[in-house]
Amino acid sequence: MILDPILDVFRGKAVTIPPLDGAFRPNTRLDDAPAFAELSSPDNLLPAAGRLFVSSGNAVFAIAAGSEPVVVETFASTVTALALSPSDELTVGLESGKLLIAGKEISLPAEIRCITALAYADDGTLWLANGSAQHLLSQWAADLMKKGASGSLWRLGPGGIGFQKTAGDIAFPYGLHPTGSDVLVSESWRHQLVRFDGLTGNRSTVLTHLPGYPARLSPSADGGAWLTLFAPRNRLIEFVLQETHYRRDMIDQVPPAYWIAPALASNRSFLEPLQCGGIRTMGIHKPWSPSRSYGLVVRLDNTMQPQFSLHSRANGTRHGICSVAEQDGQLFIASKGGDCVLSVDLASGGF
Amino acid sequence: MNFRERLQAWRYNLVPDHLVGEILTKRWTDNAIPFLALVATLGVFGSIIPGFFKLTSLQESTRQLGEFSLVVIGMTVVMLGGGIDLSVGSIFALSCFSAVYVFFILEQSVWLALAAALATGLVFGAINGYLVGYLRLRAFLTTLVTFIFGRALFDILVTTYAADVQLSQASSDVLDFIGDGTFWGLSVSVWLAIILAIVTHIALTRSRPGWHVLAVGGSRRSAHNAGIRVRRTVFMTYVFSGFCASIGGFLIACRLSGAGPGTGLNLEIMALTAAVVGGVSLGGGRGSVIKGLMGAIIVLTMTNGLIRLGYGTGTNQMVLGIMLAVAVTIDIRWLKNRHKVLNEVYVAPVYLKMGETQSAAPGSGTSYELDNRLSAADHIGLGELEGPEDVILDRDDHLYCGTRHGEIVRFFAPDYVKSEVFAHIGGFPLGLAFDRDGNLISCVGAMGLYSVSPDREVKRLSAETSRSWTSIVDDARLRDPNDCDIAPDGRIYFTDSTKRYDAHDWALDSIENRATGRLLVYDPKDGSTKTLLDGYRYTNGVCMAHDGKSLFFAESWACRVHRYWLEGPKAGTAECVIRDMPGYPDNINRASDGNYWMAWLGMRTPSFDLSLRHPDMRKRMTRRLPQDEWLFPNINTGGVVKFNEKGGIVEAMGDLSGDAHPMVTSMREHKGYLFVGGILNNRVGRYRIEDADPNWTSPASYWGGKP
Repeated sequence: MILDPILDVFRGKAVTIPPLDGAFRPNTRLDDAPAFAELSSPDNLLPAAGRLFVSSGNAVFAIAAGSEPVVVETFASTVTALALSPSDELTVGLESGKLLIAGKEISLPAEIRCITALAYADDGTLWLANGSAQHLLSQWAADLMKKGASGSLWRLGPGGIGFQKTAGDIAFPYGLHPTGSDVLVSESWRHQLVRFDGLTGNRSTVLTHLPGYPARLSPSADGGAWLTLFAPRNRLIEFVLQETHYRRDMIDQVPPAYWIAPALASNRSFLEPLQCGGIRTMGIHKPWSPSRSYGLVVRLDNTMQPQFSLHSRANGTRHGICSVAEQDGQLFIASKGGDCVLSVDLASGGF
Repeated sequence: MNFRERLQAWRYNLVPDHLVGEILTKRWTDNAIPFLALVATLGVFGSIIPGFFKLTSLQESTRQLGEFSLVVIGMTVVMLGGGIDLSVGSIFALSCFSAVYVFFILEQSVWLALAAALATGLVFGAINGYLVGYLRLRAFLTTLVTFIFGRALFDILVTTYAADVQLSQASSDVLDFIGDGTFWGLSVSVWLAIILAIVTHIALTRSRPGWHVLAVGGSRRSAHNAGIRVRRTVFMTYVFSGFCASIGGFLIACRLSGAGPGTGLNLEIMALTAAVVGGVSLGGGRGSVIKGLMGAIIVLTMTNGLIRLGYGTGTNQMVLGIMLAVAVTIDIRWLKNRHKVLNEVYVAPVYLKMGETQSAAPGSGTSYELDNRLSAADHIGLGELEGPEDVILDRDDHLYCGTRHGEIVRFFAPDYVKSEVFAHIGGFPLGLAFDRDGNLISCVGAMGLYSVSPDREVKRLSAETSRSWTSIVDDARLRDPNDCDIAPDGRIYFTDSTKRYDAHDWALDSIENRATGRLLVYDPKDGSTKTLLDGYRYTNGVCMAHDGKSLFFAESWACRVHRYWLEGPKAGTAECVIRDMPGYPDNINRASDGNYWMAWLGMRTPSFDLSLRHPDMRKRMTRRLPQDEWLFPNINTGGVVKFNEKGGIVEAMGDLSGDAHPMVTSMREHKGYLFVGGILNNRVGRYRIEDADPNWTSPASYWGGKP
């Protein structure tokens, strides 16, 4: 109504989030899917020449149907991003801020401390997303709750003149999808996909008002892409983000695991915050209840518009999906909060 | 504590924000806006017009007011019945003419003139009523037609007979008295208006036809379904309106000794404005005669005041129009949004800094450490039961529990598979206790303290205590009776958890955290209920100590257990025996080893504890987010804790998986088993306790062996 802006001063403006509707209509596909491999906190999936790699902790595993995950390589600190160069060199970003290409450490500008995603363009350019200038990747929740927007986008051109900054002031870039000379970046804290011009660094938004925090992007066979959203938007969290004093005290006094913040998995400890809708009633945890964690994978068509999505709802366990990989007609989904990698048969369709 | 926090504590603990919400729950707040408008209008015109309140000036105004009020009363009744009457002005004018015609031209008596006026009004009212009520035409259009028709008729008649009236010699003392005289300082028209207002008010609020009018206006369909003769009721409202307008017409005929083209002009707009400004809802069903009268005074003061200030008819009409528009807007917006406003302002959080607590996390090594033992409990009534807040067993080992459907269900020993509804009480039966004679005493949420005899006779023991002096909402009523226990002398000690929320909204009380919980006692000897203690943050479980000389009661949101002394040097006082627990205590019951079982309905979380120190944040949260999104204490994990006579913690157990017993609100030990209930659970759990006395039962512990 016309008086709303005036009344809002007295009654407080409602905090709203985009609904899960249209292409985001909920289903239970992720919870229905069989586990392909079980390992703790699988993060970044990487398809490579008939094999499938996944990072977990400070190691990279190779996973295959019907067998236990096999360690391919271990590193000094947690692996935060994986990529494979056109010449099949394994490129690994580490929590310590180091970047290794085929085992060789590449010197990085001091600003890069939080490698969230790596991707090679067709011409051999290596794109690197630096989530935050202040926080390590494991401290992503602090970056969000402090309203960080210090992420940056870097490129290592073919020819080796070192890393060059393409753009800065990105609110946690978490996924990369090179298209020609441009690159599509998921800007997590602003719930949007942004296209950066590879030459000028100019940005243009592609998809906004996502219902969650977008994580990594990966290509799909027909020219579209897969987008993962690692946590849902939650009205209480958005409200807390606007509450300066409470948020500051929470960051200072409450252990990060128990913050009112998005999470990769929830309901694991009774010290975690609970919202009214999440109360178990008559043995039921409502799937539509507000939750700090969720599982969501979205299929984008080649104009980067969402087509359909796969969900693990509030009462599910396949939460915190940070990466997917399409290989041989199968979609592999790494559920970091659910400690497993799922496989969904794309050929059978049925979406 | 920094300065800001101290300021917050003062602001939210000393300013009684909760009173705003409580006042808004009162129905008389509907009258507040028209009343303020009335005071403002009188104040403004009284101060800018010299001599506004002088007796002579008032006399003239009140005469006019009397006639006008009569018309407004009629209009109010029609509007209460869900209609509208635009023809009051023309009925008023025609009645006036009838009286004038009978008296001056036919030279009949005043009483015959009155009869003619009344007949005119009743006939026109009946026409309106027949068309709107029985033929069910639109009230607005129908009365608009009768208005135009009546007005045209009046204009023809007035021009035809004006000269004859002027020439008439007829006169009467009665007529002059009605027109100009006063009786005890008030004119006849004012007296008539007062009498009619009182009669109408009593009829509307205290008689069957009056209630029918309000019911029809409130919801025509419901009224029809309830068996009210809707059409006749609507018909009667229009007849009444015509009757009121005709008395007004007769009075003006007496006062002016004639009828002119201006008689009753624009009266319908004025009356409509008066009723709406007074707060009579256009939608029907809401309003009162008093409101109509307030509106009449406002409108008349306004129009007369403007005339005396030298403004013309145009301005007057303009002001009336604006008033009507504003009143209609407020009426509709307020009616639509009142419950929203109430919802938004009702929750008024206070500041509380919870004490540091020991961890209950598995592996923490404290005595509170929760494990997963309860998940191994057998289930009873899984899927059949909904909300067994408390469980109790009788001497024959049968199990009783309340459900959210207001029933007490009995499961039969020994396997607890077969069940029956033992008694239906209504409300939400919570705490249970057996008295010496085997009567089952229950605290029923939203109702009171009830007793069910062994042959299933349900009896109300208590539903109220004495009211406190400063309460706005009646706090004598028991809102959330929660748990009870019975002293050796038969007196029943029970808790009423909150004065602010109804039983089903109990969890909302944790957001507000206002200390309004009470400990009460019911004395079966004289049937009296007394408040023993007040001002606790959600009083909950009650349990007599093994020696019967004191009782323990839980204060849920403060995570404390208190001991209240019944006898001895500290009789009548309470002391805190367990403080700063990591969980929110619920029911307390005796254990076979001389200790006590305590249920934890939920666990403290660091984020919620912190929010208790940010009442402003909680207030904004309740306003800006829907309830499902509000931050709650973690009531998805509970537990059972055993403590000793001195308040020391002996052991704790829980169901960390949350699959079987997420929230635990009660437990009862019986023959080596622990029976576990939860207010939001769908089962009763039965858990085998190691090292428990396999013969110990609660009835025997309270009342001795089998009689």
